[in-house]
Amino acid sequence: MTLFPAPKPLAAFAFTDHENRVFDLSRLRGKWSFLFFGYTHCPDICPTTLATLARAHEDIAKSKAGAKDVQFVFISVDPNRDTAGKLRQYVTYFDAAFLGVTGDNAQLGNLAGQLGAAYQLAITPGIENYPVYHTTAVFLVDPRARYHAVFAPPLDAEGISRRFKVLRELEGPEAT
Amino acid sequence: MRWRDPALVGLILALAPIAAASEEAGVSVRDAWVRETPRGVAMTAGYMVLQNKTSRPQVLVAARSSGFETVTIHRTIAKEGMTGMEHAPQIELLPNASLLFAPGGYHLMLSNPKRTLRAGDRVDITLEFRGGLVLPVAYEVRK
Repeated sequence: MTLFPAPKPLAAFAFTDHENRVFDLSRLRGKWSFLFFGYTHCPDICPTTLATLARAHEDIAKSKAGAKDVQFVFISVDPNRDTAGKLRQYVTYFDAAFLGVTGDNAQLGNLAGQLGAAYQLAITPGIENYPVYHTTAVFLVDPRARYHAVFAPPLDAEGISRRFKVLRELEGPEAT
Repeated sequence: MRWRDPALVGLILALAPIAAASEEAGVSVRDAWVRETPRGVAMTAGYMVLQNKTSRPQVLVAARSSGFETVTIHRTIAKEGMTGMEHAPQIELLPNASLLFAPGGYHLMLSNPKRTLRAGDRVDITLEFRGGLVLPVAYEVRK
């Protein structure tokens, strides 16, 4: 985990979540948010990461402070194929509390840029399974909607939850 | 366990000759599994340890299965700080060596499963090697 001594406040962005609700900066306030960029046609890294995050969530939920102030957000960089319905089916399979969100290219680029994430879609006419490249780090945004830390791969659930619990403890109620 | 279930007994009987045939050829697979998919999801991946106990290199050139629309040998790669996948047209297995197909590396990309895969199900995939060696492998679906 890389921790930023001066967390960076995020600027406005606008996505839609898997229930077709607006997912914007206000949805990041009041909670610690784990953000991961991916796409549902991703057979290897995305399910591996989401399964890891589901275990981390379970572990955080078992802690004294619980997981009420934590959310996990899967950001699809492939809005062409990832409709709200698809995202719902996908993310809730890994964890009923997970959120799936997506937006247009400008909005995806906006948030990705703020977090230093990158993605690239090699959309080819006639090719259903076009290649998608994306950053596989997990970004942690604090309850004041500030980019606070990043977990670089390879990710492990125990490492994520342990470090997060220490960070949350350190930040205390001030963060919220 | 439902030992009286004829399908289960059939499955166990069917697995035995597969293991035997692959051992005989000197190329074998262990710990073969396919990731369970959420309903409606088009893609999943297959993983395994591929072992070559022969004294010659063996080249994996294709994989096929009637359970999916396509089966492609893929590798997850890093590119300019991002991660993506690329098609691996062939993979050479060195003599007396093993190759790991695991999350984040080599995998069989399995598209459009013909049925929803549930943990505990079995998926049959045939691996094809240069020179005509054909290896049927039973993969266990895991969560």
